Amino acid sequence: MTLTSTAGDPVVRVSGTAQGAELRGSDADATVLAVGSTGVPAVEPLLSVTRRGRTGFHARCPPERAKTIVSTVAEAGDVTTADPDAVVEHDPDATRLPVPELPGFGVGNRSVLAACGWRRPTNPADHEAAGGFGNPDPAAVLDAGTRLRGRGWGDRCQDAFLAETWGTVRDGDGDAAVVVNGHGNPADALLLAGAPFEVLDGATALARAVDAERLVVYASAADERAVETAREAATTYPDPPAPIDVVAGPPEYRAAEPTMALEAIEGNHRLEARLRPPGPEEVGLHGRPTLVHTSRTLAQLAIALRDGREPETRVVTVTGDVAAPATVELRESDSLADAVDAVEVEGTVKAACVGGRFGGLTRDLDVGVDPEALSAANLGTDGTVHVLAEDSCVVEFVGRRARFAAEGNCGRCVPCREGTTQLTALLRAVYDGEYDADGIEELGRVMATSSLCSFGVRAGRPARTALAAFESEFAAHADGRCPAGQCVEPAEVT
Amino acid sequence: MRSDERDVDVPPLTEGIAPGTATDPAVGSDGPATVTVDGTAVSLESGATLLDAVEAVETDEHVAALCHYGREGIGPRSECRTCMVATDEHGVVPACSFPAEDGLTVRTGATDAAEARDVNLDLVLSDHNLRCTTCGKNGRCELQDAAIEAGVEEPRYGVFDDRDEYEPLDDTSPFIAIDRNKCILCNRCVEACNDVQVEGVLRMEGSGSDTRIGFQSDAETMADSTCVSCGHCATVCPTGALVEDGIVDATTIPLPGFTQANSVGETSERAGERSGPMTPKKRAEPTSGGDGKAGDAAGNASEDGSDADGAPDVNGTPGAGVWDDGGDWP
Repeated sequence: MTLTSTAGDPVVRVSGTAQGAELRGSDADATVLAVGSTGVPAVEPLLSVTRRGRTGFHARCPPERAKTIVSTVAEAGDVTTADPDAVVEHDPDATRLPVPELPGFGVGNRSVLAACGWRRPTNPADHEAAGGFGNPDPAAVLDAGTRLRGRGWGDRCQDAFLAETWGTVRDGDGDAAVVVNGHGNPADALLLAGAPFEVLDGATALARAVDAERLVVYASAADERAVETAREAATTYPDPPAPIDVVAGPPEYRAAEPTMALEAIEGNHRLEARLRPPGPEEVGLHGRPTLVHTSRTLAQLAIALRDGREPETRVVTVTGDVAAPATVELRESDSLADAVDAVEVEGTVKAACVGGRFGGLTRDLDVGVDPEALSAANLGTDGTVHVLAEDSCVVEFVGRRARFAAEGNCGRCVPCREGTTQLTALLRAVYDGEYDADGIEELGRVMATSSLCSFGVRAGRPARTALAAFESEFAAHADGRCPAGQCVEPAEVT
Repeated sequence: MRSDERDVDVPPLTEGIAPGTATDPAVGSDGPATVTVDGTAVSLESGATLLDAVEAVETDEHVAALCHYGREGIGPRSECRTCMVATDEHGVVPACSFPAEDGLTVRTGATDAAEARDVNLDLVLSDHNLRCTTCGKNGRCELQDAAIEAGVEEPRYGVFDDRDEYEPLDDTSPFIAIDRNKCILCNRCVEACNDVQVEGVLRMEGSGSDTRIGFQSDAETMADSTCVSCGHCATVCPTGALVEDGIVDATTIPLPGFTQANSVGETSERAGERSGPMTPKKRAEPTSGGDGKAGDAAGNASEDGSDADGAPDVNGTPGAGVWDDGGDWP
């Protein structure tokens, strides 16, 4: 069966709900396809009906209505008769989501996310029709690595060009391994659940290029759909260069850190970061030279190899004080403000925590989403923007992040284990009138220079960046006031 | 595929050992190297770390390397991060675990490295019971030495001194007392127990501020654990966290009525008959004393007092040995 029916029968896609699968074959008049999430759960379940190069989108539509919509469309012969929320004209054989004019879809350029919400995640025919399962020349793969950077904190090469690490693995002793890290970031889990073949295309191309003997897909056990879909995709992936194992790791935030991911895959009952150097590229999974890349990095690689050029996009998830979080794909020339435009903010934007759980805080959203611009602004490149609305308290926010760091670290190294505890205490002391900006700055600096892994390196970043951008709020708290009116009265604290 | 992943060098005894720690790669340089430390060139053999170089010369500033042990294949754990040094090539790195790559230039006096060592030592102290005068390791404690060497007078984050949060002392074993309030989680005891003695008793457990030394058998106390009382954990412990029971107060300043035990709250005492501080077979030795092997055979002690060197059972001859302290032997 081809992806899109060019005959008169409409094709219905149900995105963002597992129920779509049950509807399949329930109606003889229509082909109902269960597809992955679009990354914009605010509009899901998103039901689309396609007929002759035209697709009508029905946002927040119960899958049970599919039958009615299909019969309406079939009767009138036109997708608009079912009163859709948006209509898009497209190539009748479109293999990528025809982007509707719906909230969450107004920005960016979907290439890595093109399959999400359109192709059936584990259907090889859909992926093949989109040009997938290519067998790129290893030389071309290694070449692409000179221009592609790692994405996400779960990526061993975050923000670094990939080729050097790949060379280390290819030239290393022992059979290499490639680990797909789908843990720790919503976009990485989204890709595993919605477009696993894109991720596996990148992983298998890389495995061939470095002559890897093992391929492991790793995701959080909490992301059940990602794990299940990856498992199914692994079994249906045609002719992989190495056996593909899918491993579900513990849901803790730290479990996404590349060396803790290896510990989890190897089955250690306690998660702890590994000492480095040497890094996993020399001594990794079971001692093998190992590449650890996120779903996003590998999907970007797959798209780059297929298109013959670099997809200069960044997948960003916007969350926080928003009606519903959304994952969007932006051009590197786009800004954080563009990302925030994709969601409905509850109130006005006061600040954003950019770049993961331990991202940097900023008032200014006019910052590009490319790694240079983000780093120059002391923000993180992990691919998340946590929006803080006007009535949110920055001091409270960074205090919570510090406490999370103190509770969620692996406990191995002193700057992280004890540093996050002291950081939490220093932030708590602000409420008692003891505002020690220099002390917080010093501690954050030492945590960043001497922690063993990026958990500790970044754990102080929310506090340090907030001190710089919101100094008056800290001072106000030390005086016993919360400008946002969110914090309890100091009298109650003491 | 799986079979070739097993390390053939690992003795089967270690298979069931779960120390709760990460599988670290081997550290050290790939080949002989010459590095420059504070202007002095140091030549090192293959497998060396920057700490080997730092220790070979008179450095501008003291590098504590508190959690470092450097013997018996224990460590580097690189946990305390009080050995940070600046390199021109890689920025600030931990000397104890960073390979001595040929040509590196190391500066111990660089501001960022000195700050990191200083702050990290204070962070270690922040979670340490600093009642040195009631501690049996007073005067022979590596944390104390490091703090004195670094000139710490008032740790910037204070010290661990909250009676409500003290972990109970574990005094259940006749041979080894555990005071986790003094533990700096250097992991030496875990490695001595698992990698050197291959006993598989101790492990690292928990995470965040709940990280602690525990038992692989899930026992709550040392007495209930599978410990064979070899004492290696106490031997390698840099602080007063693990101390041979007979010397828990060996170097305390005698303050009437004030001990570590009663100053911190709860103590898990041993149940039933109190045992003496040494293993039975030691008492079977002649009364002349001076047995040069006294400490060596202690590891076999818990099994059967009569099987060592054909010595007679000691149970019937209390008071005959040099180690007699009047206690009841098991």
